[in-house]
Amino acid sequence: MNDNAPLNGDGPALELQDVEVVYERRGRERLRAVAGASLTVERGQIVGLVGESGCGKSSLARASVGLVPTTAGTVQFEGREVTPLTRRARPRELARLQMVFQNPYSSLNPRRKIGSQLTDALDVLGLVPSADRRGRVEELLDLVGLPASAAVRYPHQFSGGQRQRIAVARALAADPSVLVLDEPLASLDASAQAQVANLLVDLSRRLSLSLLLISHDLAIVRHVADVVSVMYLGVMVETGPARSLWSLPLHPYTEALIGAVPHPDGSGFLPEALPGEVPDPAHPPAACRFHPRCPYAFDRCSAEDPVTLAIEGDRTVACWLQAGGGPPARPAERPKSLPLLHVKE
Amino acid sequence: MEVEGLRVRLPTPRGFATVVDGIDYDVEPAQVFGVAGESGSGKTMSMLALLGLLPAGAIVEGRAAFGGQDLLRLKGNDLRAVSGRDIGMVFQDPMTSLHPMLTIGQQLTEHMRRHLGLSRRAADDRAAELLDQVRIPGPRSALHAYPHQFSGGMRQRIAIAIALACGPRLLIADEPTTALDVTVQAGILRLLDRLRRERDLSVVLITHDLAVMSSIADRISIFYAGQVVESGRRDELLRHPRHPYTRALLDALPHPEAARDTPLVAIKGAPPSPQQIPDGCRYHPRCPYAIEICTTDDPPLVPVGGRRLACHVDPFRHE
Amino acid sequence: MSTLAFRMRARRRGGRTRPAWRQPLAVAGGVIAVAWLLVAIFAPFIAPYDPLAQTFVAAQSPSSAHLFGTDELGRDVLSRVIYGARVSVPIALLLVSLAALIGGLVGALAGYFRGIVDGLSMRVVDLFFAFPAIILAMVVAAVLGRGLRNAALAIVVVAWPAYARVVRGLVLSVGDTEYVESARLLGASARRTLFRDVLPNVAGPVFVLATLDLASAILLLAGLSFLGLGAQPPQAEWGSMVADGAQYFQWWWIGTFPGLAIFTAVLAFNFLGDSLRDFFDPQTSWGGDER
Repeated sequence: MNDNAPLNGDGPALELQDVEVVYERRGRERLRAVAGASLTVERGQIVGLVGESGCGKSSLARASVGLVPTTAGTVQFEGREVTPLTRRARPRELARLQMVFQNPYSSLNPRRKIGSQLTDALDVLGLVPSADRRGRVEELLDLVGLPASAAVRYPHQFSGGQRQRIAVARALAADPSVLVLDEPLASLDASAQAQVANLLVDLSRRLSLSLLLISHDLAIVRHVADVVSVMYLGVMVETGPARSLWSLPLHPYTEALIGAVPHPDGSGFLPEALPGEVPDPAHPPAACRFHPRCPYAFDRCSAEDPVTLAIEGDRTVACWLQAGGGPPARPAERPKSLPLLHVKE
Repeated sequence: MEVEGLRVRLPTPRGFATVVDGIDYDVEPAQVFGVAGESGSGKTMSMLALLGLLPAGAIVEGRAAFGGQDLLRLKGNDLRAVSGRDIGMVFQDPMTSLHPMLTIGQQLTEHMRRHLGLSRRAADDRAAELLDQVRIPGPRSALHAYPHQFSGGMRQRIAIAIALACGPRLLIADEPTTALDVTVQAGILRLLDRLRRERDLSVVLITHDLAVMSSIADRISIFYAGQVVESGRRDELLRHPRHPYTRALLDALPHPEAARDTPLVAIKGAPPSPQQIPDGCRYHPRCPYAIEICTTDDPPLVPVGGRRLACHVDPFRHE
Repeated sequence: MSTLAFRMRARRRGGRTRPAWRQPLAVAGGVIAVAWLLVAIFAPFIAPYDPLAQTFVAAQSPSSAHLFGTDELGRDVLSRVIYGARVSVPIALLLVSLAALIGGLVGALAGYFRGIVDGLSMRVVDLFFAFPAIILAMVVAAVLGRGLRNAALAIVVVAWPAYARVVRGLVLSVGDTEYVESARLLGASARRTLFRDVLPNVAGPVFVLATLDLASAILLLAGLSFLGLGAQPPQAEWGSMVADGAQYFQWWWIGTFPGLAIFTAVLAFNFLGDSLRDFFDPQTSWGGDER
């Protein structure tokens, strides 16, 4: 049997359903960083997960690979359950689910040459006999656009962008089918961002690699991702194809997020700000978590937690405004069954 | 403020490195002046030079006329009198730019009482008013709170309030929104815009983010390797960039209209370190339009059709 | 961005900026420390006389025959100081190594297993930390009885908790870093990452702590001997020699030279430890080089 064939055939590469991640904190109340979020990454797809600080996207990313345990919901990789890490070695079947972290300075061991770190990765994986490892290391470096000579250098001799590429190379050593990337571009300057973003798209298309890209940078995600999911305060508020989500946001938060992105076109467009602040995740608002800041909120929003609705065009949204059915339309255009509570300023 | 011929050299183990090499610009009253560039371009150093905040041993040349005085010639208490009262500065990281052990009120009023000689009561009133202007909810009680009780966006607003405490004519903001979420950033940009209009305040906005620049700057200067390579009105410069570097910076940004799977255009190479400045035009090793003269002659910054440009080739002049 | 200036100064070396005045001290420290070590090793060849021989004229001030003079019993002070190095320096080395081993083991286990193991061992460590070092050492030495060996034991008892704390802290923090997490994701067991990634990063700070601890150990040993709890007469040990000297204050050379020996040795190891700390810092300028 081919070891690489996924158990679930054409099914999703990575599937999270109603996942909850709770942190118990000493001396303070427990924090529900993720409060029931679902997300699907199909084979070969690039999914972007966006949200601002405190939305729980990093926790979700870590839960999706098993670095933190979930307190509810399921995480499935190619049909197999993703079990959280214990002191034992991670199950072999999960090796093809890998992660790249945000900070390129701390994701590599500063005291070891990168060639040795990559060789160690191959050693742990046990996929390549030791005689062939050096060649494979060169291949991996080549895949990410670095010369073979890089192997004898230490991490501090590389720029941030290059270090990030080395981190990607290490993840690729496992021949992954899904790569979860937690803010991989955040610590890089614009040019390095472009290079790494291009690399990721290229790898995804060439190797049929699925990517779950977590980022706060909407512009890049829009450019790179096939599907975008928007997260707010631990819940998924909207999901859909990148283009249509951008041109027709269905959830008020998505709309606000898009409106807040500045444009470099010289027009002097002043981005829209959202009133209020992100609430403490430990004390989220009742019912719809966004309703205190929402310009369109009405009675139902503070009474019932919105359910995730399926909208045509492969989109989902968790907002009562969209509960009326019919073709997708912006929040402002949706009729409300009950009077407005908050008026947009 | 008028800056002329600003040159900053920093001591290194191998002699001096010139990090700012002949910068000129003017900031008009009630204008937002943008200084754009990547890290290492000298944009922050040039500002620190104006405020006397460079590390020991730094050598500064040039002139910075502000309020009838040359900032670069002032020392010690004289400089502090001007820089503390007439110039405010806001830094990038709101987590570390406020003193963690003092209340907001103390941090606000300290400056006011020193430079304006206000009584405790008057200073508190003014502090509360400032907090209200930067839209901190519950300004009176906020005076007694500590920085850690506020979020990043609020802290940045407080930092702006502190910078404005003594009624400066010039506010220098170094990457004020880089560490913030996009909706919070939008709030800060709107705040800066409003303050500029209400108080007739000049703002020097330093950032690498051209989109942020485009939102509130009136004029923009593009810095590269310690020099200004292009400078002009925001709309003209960003819509019709003429210097290859400006063009490349804009091209590297994702385009809303781009077709699927179009790669982002990265600028090949990296900015030069101050110890290894190329001969001739500093940008030439990375420039796709470079010609012979670019490798030998440093192009001067000259006025060209309403803006200033330092380029021998000017490849986009027809657009 | 505004840290760029400071980073630039260090950029070429890739290390921290070290204040200019620190370097010569570090070198001096190293030289003196090594010198004392050599004195300790080669004592029989360097010392002009037998340290225990009471054959000379008592209480002679320093002269060409007796560079450091003679003590109240007619013994050559210089020889005693040299032989004293044999007691203080190697024993301190041994003790610190032992403490580091024991403490490191406890700390590593606490950090690796966490949970109950961690809680229990750290409470024990806290218990030891509750007492000032010299008091604890005195109590242990007094309970066990006089003698150099018991004093040595007391010092190990006092020194190991610091290592437990430091090693535990490092194991926990390094264990949480992303390169260890990456290794775990690739399939490495916790044990494997402990030995390959965590412990090598722990070795550096432990080494620095040990070097600084050497200074404390020498001082503590001298202190215990000064109080009569350590080396017993007629053994030549710096601390007890200082005690002698305190009694015979009019013959200043009896106490001053051993005192100077303690002083220089302790200072030397302190400087050495400081410079080792700089040396062991990761070579990269962390998180600030480009942004």
